[in-house]
Amino acid sequence: MREVSVSVTPGSLLAVVGPNGAGKTTLLRLLSGSLVPREGEIRLDDRVLGELGDRERARALAVVPQSESSPFPVTVREMVGMGRYAHLGSWESVGSRDRAVVDEALERCAVAALAARQLDELSGGERQRARIARALAQEAPVLLLDEPTAGLDLRYRMELFHLLQELRADGLALLVVTHDLNLAARFADRLLLLDRGRERAGGAPRDVLSRETLEDVYEWSLRLVPHPGPGSDAGAPQTVPLRRDAP
Amino acid sequence: MSVQASAWRASSRVAVLGLAVLIAGAISLSLGASGLGPLDLWRTLTGAADPATETILLRLRLPRAVLAALVGGALGLSGCTFQALLRNPLAEPYVLGISGGAAVGAVCVFVSGLAVTVPWTLSLGAFLGAVGAMALVLAIASRASPGGMDTRVLILSGVIAGAFFNAIILLVLSLADLQSFRSAIFWMMGNLSAADWEAAAVLAVFLVPASVVVLSLARAFDLLSRGEEVAYYLGASVQRVKLTAYLAASLMVAASVAAVGVIGFVGLIVPHAVRLAWGNDHRLLLPASFLAGSAFLLLADTVARVVVAPAELPTGVVTAVVGVPFFVVLLMRGGRR
Repeated sequence: MREVSVSVTPGSLLAVVGPNGAGKTTLLRLLSGSLVPREGEIRLDDRVLGELGDRERARALAVVPQSESSPFPVTVREMVGMGRYAHLGSWESVGSRDRAVVDEALERCAVAALAARQLDELSGGERQRARIARALAQEAPVLLLDEPTAGLDLRYRMELFHLLQELRADGLALLVVTHDLNLAARFADRLLLLDRGRERAGGAPRDVLSRETLEDVYEWSLRLVPHPGPGSDAGAPQTVPLRRDAP
Repeated sequence: MSVQASAWRASSRVAVLGLAVLIAGAISLSLGASGLGPLDLWRTLTGAADPATETILLRLRLPRAVLAALVGGALGLSGCTFQALLRNPLAEPYVLGISGGAAVGAVCVFVSGLAVTVPWTLSLGAFLGAVGAMALVLAIASRASPGGMDTRVLILSGVIAGAFFNAIILLVLSLADLQSFRSAIFWMMGNLSAADWEAAAVLAVFLVPASVVVLSLARAFDLLSRGEEVAYYLGASVQRVKLTAYLAASLMVAASVAAVGVIGFVGLIVPHAVRLAWGNDHRLLLPASFLAGSAFLLLADTVARVVVAPAELPTGVVTAVVGVPFFVVLLMRGGRR
């Protein structure tokens, strides 16, 4: 991965797109500090990410990784409560403020009614929202998500991007890695298109999504059509890959 | 269910288990080959017992009960810790070869004849063997996973080291005389017949600080059970937590194996029984596993002393014979809540 420059600002949603193996997850790991860049720097405000302590970093930056599993089941509330780890000392018990933050995160992600349920009883979309609630409980101003809509059906995908839009309106700085070019074009302020570890294009969705660039990057014929509406995102460029037998 | 209510419920569950340990202790003190019963226990407590009764209760049964409670606690707590560390429900205190290392040390002491001539050499040999195994497994695992301790490599190193130790044990035993052979086998089954205040005190010296360290990691274990990457994102210092947990849990296992030999099943089934009943929140699970382990081993050791009195069964045999059916019933009654 080289020659990539990326910045997320409060109240904005950046979508990182690109084919498999383009380096999207690697970029996310670099940005989250779990990988250390050989060259270059990751900065949070004016501090270098690697210089922050683990708890301090988790209070500044929350990450929802692609997937997770556990041999030991927990309830939704227990899992969202884990987001408070960085705010609590080893022997400190959960305080009223921690409880309030967890309750609010559960509400925000529409999983409050499921709080007492076992996490593995939930549907994929509900589980994904619970994981986002846990990230919100960290109270970090920056939120990174790795393919949050993978494996979700149409309704859950739409709900999830609407949730991200609401969080952006709350003032969070959001970066989402996704394969869904169409939803990214409709919901993100900016796109970053990666190709073989490099930045291929960046900027507003209309500028980044051009037929020539996408055909080159994905090595597949396609057409771009404007989203027919209705809705505030009418006109957003939607990618339609063509069949092999298309003339 | 509010969080406050659940915190209160967790404390009351720990209190109930604490009470269970006391009751198990009282049962253990009240039963035995000499025919002393609850009434004699009461008389001793109130200072109204004759000296012989007092000696049996305070010099024989009480230190043994205390040792049983400490060992049971160490096994329950370390078993739970290894399960969290390795993210593996099958992990137990001996999975990483510590018991094998201890047994190599113990067997060497038996075969060399030192066990008969110098009284504390057996515990020392077992302890050195256990600590040696712990260092060896850690060294292999950190060499084989340069980016930090990979728990999959750790478990593999532990299992391999355990297999190697077993081979060494069999090798040494095949050359041993019959008496050493018998003593070594009996030791490996685990028993508390040699319990005295000294053994309990030595174990406590290791167990108390190691337990405090492990309990301080409770929240980090919750995070770790979701995977190391997730734990890191949530703010856990993953490598430090893993290393601390490994050292503290290994040390308490080493000390308890040195005291009483290898007592199986407690460290596997006790944490699982607590998980099945009360879930996987480590702030409850860790102390509950300690206390449940204590109560369980107190009762198992009482059975070991009583059923074939005046002879004794090895406690490790009783824990398996009693523990496994109990656990199967729990498992079949199904998940939590």
